[in-house]
Amino acid sequence: MRAFPNEVIHMAETKKFAMVVSEGSFDKAMMAMMMANTAASMGIETHVFYTFFGLKLLKKGAKPKMPGMMRLFTGMMIKKMKGIGIDGYQEQMDMAKELGVKIYACNTSMSMMGIKQEDLIDGITVLGAAAFLDIGTDSDMQLFIG
Amino acid sequence: MDKNDTLDAKGLMCPMPIVKLAKKMKDMKVGEVLELIADDVGSKEDVPAWCKRTGNQLVGQKEEGAVFYFYIKKVQ
Repeated sequence: MRAFPNEVIHMAETKKFAMVVSEGSFDKAMMAMMMANTAASMGIETHVFYTFFGLKLLKKGAKPKMPGMMRLFTGMMIKKMKGIGIDGYQEQMDMAKELGVKIYACNTSMSMMGIKQEDLIDGITVLGAAAFLDIGTDSDMQLFIG
Repeated sequence: MDKNDTLDAKGLMCPMPIVKLAKKMKDMKVGEVLELIADDVGSKEDVPAWCKRTGNQLVGQKEEGAVFYFYIKKVQ
């Protein structure tokens, strides 16, 4: 047993994390959600912006598939992940909401794909690129999932 | 090591032990110690990183075979 009784604790300051998701496949969707939920669990203020093909991940009842020919193996992937304790996509989204992850939809992508606010799950803020870049600019970490 | 509660995260892979740890710590009182049990090798680095980031204190850590034990004191 290693014990650290005298370790000095520095109160962590709140950090901010901004992520862009531009692809809508299962692997990208899960990766983004797992990263966002971990960040939020670490007390990091987390903002995720869904744009282009990523936007369809915010539609009600979205069931993302693996890309290309790999789509046939989506069910197998879901089963494998369940086996190691990783929840499915919808459960990850619910967890994100519970953890206070802020989720944004790109308004241009919405018009481009004919998606309306009522097609999206609840709790989504519709933004333009400038508004999200404003959030990203004063973040401590930015990631692009595409 | 003294503990007030235990969270068994065996069989769970990254990031689930951390997500469950964060949730559990919300229910603990300041000064209480949680024992976290995990068998995900990543947790060896992940749990200390979580403690550092959230300002909670890792007061002890041990390994028994492929199982890791962490003792985390709630600071804030």
